Amino acid sequence: MSDKQHTLHSARRLGRLMSRYYLSSRYHSLWGPLLRRPLAWVTSGAPVEILRVFGIHPFYPENYGALCGARRASLALCQAAEARGYSQDLCSYARCHLGSLFSPEHAPLKKLPPPDLLVACNNICGTVLKWYEELARRLRVPLLFIDTPFIAGELEDRAVAYVQEQLRAMVEELSRLTGRRWDAARARRIMGLSNEAVLLWREIRYMGRHRPSPLNAPDLFIHMAPIVVLRGTPQAVHYYRLLLSEVRERVKKGIAAVPGERVRLLWDNIAIWYRLNRFFRFFAERGACFVTDTYTGGWDTEMAVREDPLESLAEAYAGIFLNRSLQFRVRQMVELIRDFAVDGFVMHSNRSCKPYSLVQEEIRRQVVEQTGIPGLVVEADQTDPRAFAEETVLNRAQAFLEALAL
Amino acid sequence: MKKKFFCGVDIGSLTTKVVLLDAKGEMVSRAWARSGYAGKEVAHRLLSGMLEKVGARQEEVTVVATGYGRVTYPADREFSEISCQARAIARLFPAARTVIDIGGQDSKVIRISPQGRVLDFAMNDKCAAGTGRFLEVMAQALEVPVEELGHLAEKSSRPLCISSTCTVFAESEVVSCIARGEPKEDIVAGICAAVAARVLALAERVGLEPEVVFTGGVARNKGVVKAMRERYARALAIPPEPEITAALGAALLAMDLGTERK
Ligand code: SF4
Repeated sequence: MSDKQHTLHSARRLGRLMSRYYLSSRYHSLWGPLLRRPLAWVTSGAPVEILRVFGIHPFYPENYGALCGARRASLALCQAAEARGYSQDLCSYARCHLGSLFSPEHAPLKKLPPPDLLVACNNICGTVLKWYEELARRLRVPLLFIDTPFIAGELEDRAVAYVQEQLRAMVEELSRLTGRRWDAARARRIMGLSNEAVLLWREIRYMGRHRPSPLNAPDLFIHMAPIVVLRGTPQAVHYYRLLLSEVRERVKKGIAAVPGERVRLLWDNIAIWYRLNRFFRFFAERGACFVTDTYTGGWDTEMAVREDPLESLAEAYAGIFLNRSLQFRVRQMVELIRDFAVDGFVMHSNRSCKPYSLVQEEIRRQVVEQTGIPGLVVEADQTDPRAFAEETVLNRAQAFLEALAL
Repeated sequence: MKKKFFCGVDIGSLTTKVVLLDAKGEMVSRAWARSGYAGKEVAHRLLSGMLEKVGARQEEVTVVATGYGRVTYPADREFSEISCQARAIARLFPAARTVIDIGGQDSKVIRISPQGRVLDFAMNDKCAAGTGRFLEVMAQALEVPVEELGHLAEKSSRPLCISSTCTVFAESEVVSCIARGEPKEDIVAGICAAVAARVLALAERVGLEPEVVFTGGVARNKGVVKAMRERYARALAIPPEPEITAALGAALLAMDLGTERK
């Protein structure tokens, strides 16, 4: 089974698109201040549409962390951060990113484009607060922080109002920093572009419902990059249109991501970036395809259109799945299992990402109870290879696949 | 050619086990030895010895390999220990629903269906705490042979509490117990209790449905068995040779392969 069969042609286009994105980040860090188009380092769950209204270019340290993992630079960078006293228990995206500041010689892209400001939102985790505070102290740049209360049940109006109020304050602050005015019509246009890309991404993900599936989890992990870093731009929309047509074509021709697909699986949590292909190949060689996952689906919910764009944004960004209850996540998995006709699921207990991983054992129990399909937990880390014992993990994976087949 | 014998080879991290069955599925021979550096050679030697004794040739045997070294062995097929354990226990204890296995560097809990299918399983994380290796390290610190641990623990009337889960930390905890002059048997009983507590916590992830069978080399350790029985009040069945169940399961799976082919 050659790797060629798996790779979507769009992967090359994606490579070019991402290179252009990184180049433009560099460009902004050089000329941004002059053109009043500053560069911001932002968390993946920050309301980027607001920044775009002000012509601010977002750069994503988390996406950069994933890149460090995929390029196998993460170990050296984590160690560089640890040598400065950062704990090994800190999220490895944070350690990679901080490490790249201390040891740019080990860092992909060498020296990162420095930020003019930082924007963080704790809808994904509490780690980002401390991580970004640390950046603000070290780099002496302003930090804008959005606090989203954890949603134990339904998203309540007062939570939305609380976040909306902070967004309003952020708008004022950005207006002051850039000297530009808030333009609600422009905000709506940008949010429209976000929604368009989000809907395309969702449709692409849904293609995995076909049997055989045209997509395997590594495809989703690789092709999610634009929905994160280029959300709210025409480039993202354009890219996903092309990707969707390629995936549709695959379905039409009956091309499987995993030739001879026998087992359909669901993946939970972030990828194991430094082993992405090798890890999933182990499953593919045994006819198992990860037809869907919970992670890349984090970017497939569209924003409702409200009178005040800030209200829509508050609602959307407070409601993301990592900020939600255990019950919400159980329900989400049960629905995916049903919609994608999944035979079993694999949960990556990811040492880095506590909000994602700590509740997994209980989620697993409930999902197994409700669906009757088996679930496996494997321990690893998204980017720190020291937390991954390949032999042990693959041993379990084999036992799991045997149990599914016997 | 019709196979006359079915062999299970379990190359574990500490010991290699080989089980040979005849065409009727009766056990004709079993043996084990330390895996050492080359478990594959050890397995080969054990199997050759057995075949010589029964007067059979290699070609007359279907071999299934399992355990950490399974991919290195030129077998007809390889299966994970989980599948092998389930297969063996379904045969030895038809009423068993849960298997607790503590081997050299793994501890695992497997839930099986009445048909012997694996329903669910949990394994220790990559740390060796609560496994055979853990007991070996502790035995070394106490300067007693690992086989003696069980007898020593039985003598204890006041087991100490070893609270560290990490093998390295637990070892220093033991060393400081020795320094304090604590009786050896109480330290050993504490170590055994720590192993039992850890594997039972693991078992909670999949549920401990009776009947429960305890397998693996550590099931020979009376101290651990006692501690398990104290914590888990229900019956705990132990096969007469608890270290060879995975190899037996591999041999049974080898027989299944034969019947599949027909
Ligand atoms: S802890 Fe999880 S959500 Fe937070 S930055 Fe790390 S990977 Fe992302």
